[in-house]
Amino acid sequence: MLRKLSLWAASALIAVTSLNFELQESPGDRLIGVWEPSNGRSRIKIDKIGTKYYGRVVWLIEPNDPETNLPKTDKNNPDAALKNVPLKGYRMLKDFVYQTDGTWSEGTIYDPLNGSTYNCVIKMKDKNTLDIRGYIGVQALGRTDVWKRLATAPAKK
Amino acid sequence: MMLRSIWALALATSIGGTLWAQSDSSSAAEDDFSQYDNLGFVDAGAKRFCSPKIEGLSPAKLISLGYDYQGAYNLSAGTLFNGTTELAAAEDAQVNATQGLRVGFNIPVISKTNLVWQMGANYWNTQYQYATLPTAASNPLHQTLSEHGLRTTGVNTTVFKPLDRKNFLLFQGSADLSGTYGIEFMPAQYLRYSAALIYGRRPTEKKQWGLGLARTYRVGEINYIPVVLYNSTDALNKWGAEVLFPARAHVRRTINPRNMLFAGYELEGQSYRLWRDPASNFDLRNEDLEIRRGEARFRMVYEFSLKDFMWLSIQAGYRLQYRYDVDRLVDGVEIYRAFGLLRDDAYAQTNGLGNPLYFNVSLNLVSP
Repeated sequence: MLRKLSLWAASALIAVTSLNFELQESPGDRLIGVWEPSNGRSRIKIDKIGTKYYGRVVWLIEPNDPETNLPKTDKNNPDAALKNVPLKGYRMLKDFVYQTDGTWSEGTIYDPLNGSTYNCVIKMKDKNTLDIRGYIGVQALGRTDVWKRLATAPAKK
Repeated sequence: MMLRSIWALALATSIGGTLWAQSDSSSAAEDDFSQYDNLGFVDAGAKRFCSPKIEGLSPAKLISLGYDYQGAYNLSAGTLFNGTTELAAAEDAQVNATQGLRVGFNIPVISKTNLVWQMGANYWNTQYQYATLPTAASNPLHQTLSEHGLRTTGVNTTVFKPLDRKNFLLFQGSADLSGTYGIEFMPAQYLRYSAALIYGRRPTEKKQWGLGLARTYRVGEINYIPVVLYNSTDALNKWGAEVLFPARAHVRRTINPRNMLFAGYELEGQSYRLWRDPASNFDLRNEDLEIRRGEARFRMVYEFSLKDFMWLSIQAGYRLQYRYDVDRLVDGVEIYRAFGLLRDDAYAQTNGLGNPLYFNVSLNLVSP
């Protein structure tokens, strides 16, 4: 009987612990939110899916293609099959993993302006500022953009 | 009983595991993108700044490895004087080709919203292939060009300082050692500095312009001139202009973001310290002479992505000589003529070059 109870208790403990882990915010979750790149032309919402972080375009200063007057698509993508995918909702940050050194890395950033995908590492300068460094192979060959966190409630006018 | 306990354990474990695997902080409601239309910064004090680039601009080159080739032309070396004393007689010679390697690096050092700072280095080598090799009796200009060619090694820096969303300052500076060296004959006093400071505006994401002042050797000798920056892209991202007048000006046709065609010109120039083997019968080193090379290159350029960030640039055009005269330093100091407005000192040697067709090809790693 005691043995049976012990097993049930262990099971319950594992379940609760797992749930706790799930509900408890990981330090990497500070990245979750809506961010604006320095050029102010788009807004990116970063979410967590599983253990990785992804960011998708949720706003564009110029939502329509001036050539077609239709919503912009990923027309610069070198993969012809993706050229008609709408830019709004496009996942441009992919597969970021939070590291023990406080950065998010192992991910990629996509630039819809030229259809190129770069290696990328994200550092949080403060809770509302990100250094997003896209690079080619080694971090020295790259460029850093600074993103600012946006309040998710509408701004007061 | 034991079996039931194991099932319970497995079930409990799987509940936790399932919850973990299905973790997704996004939600279906987010497909209503209008909720992101009117957001402000969390930091009330955060400012927006303009970026150094405009939309549609050709990509900046981080690393460039190129080869430059000029076709045949006649090089008329004038009489070489020291004051009124004739040191060497004038002599024409045929140059079959002028060609060499051009390597450049540009690495971002600081890349922040409110400051961008890049450092670079470059090395250009120009070799002169004479139809008939000059002899010890030839004009010393022909001798030294044939034996040593011309080289430039330099460092450069670019600082972009946005003042706000529309206004910015741009500083470009470089220090070059140019000549027929032997680094041992190129002490720091022969470093030639160029710089430009521009105040600019970026009224839209597709246009920027600026006005400034430059210290430049683009026309071969030191000059201080006004400069105009103008970059633009049309609404359809098909046409654009990339101008830093008078240094260069190009019209851009964007076939797509990975294929661009340019038509325009660039001024090239530098002061090259002349030297020839002191063991020979004419030691140019002691004469303290510099070639003032200034030329315009009218050209078509095609740049395209070979694969991802590796771009090939092919240019072809016409090289028009503006100046190739030899100047004598006065106590090691160069003469500032201001296009003859301030001084009108005679050159030690006045030369003339024919104007050949040229081409240039380079492999480039472009910036994100």
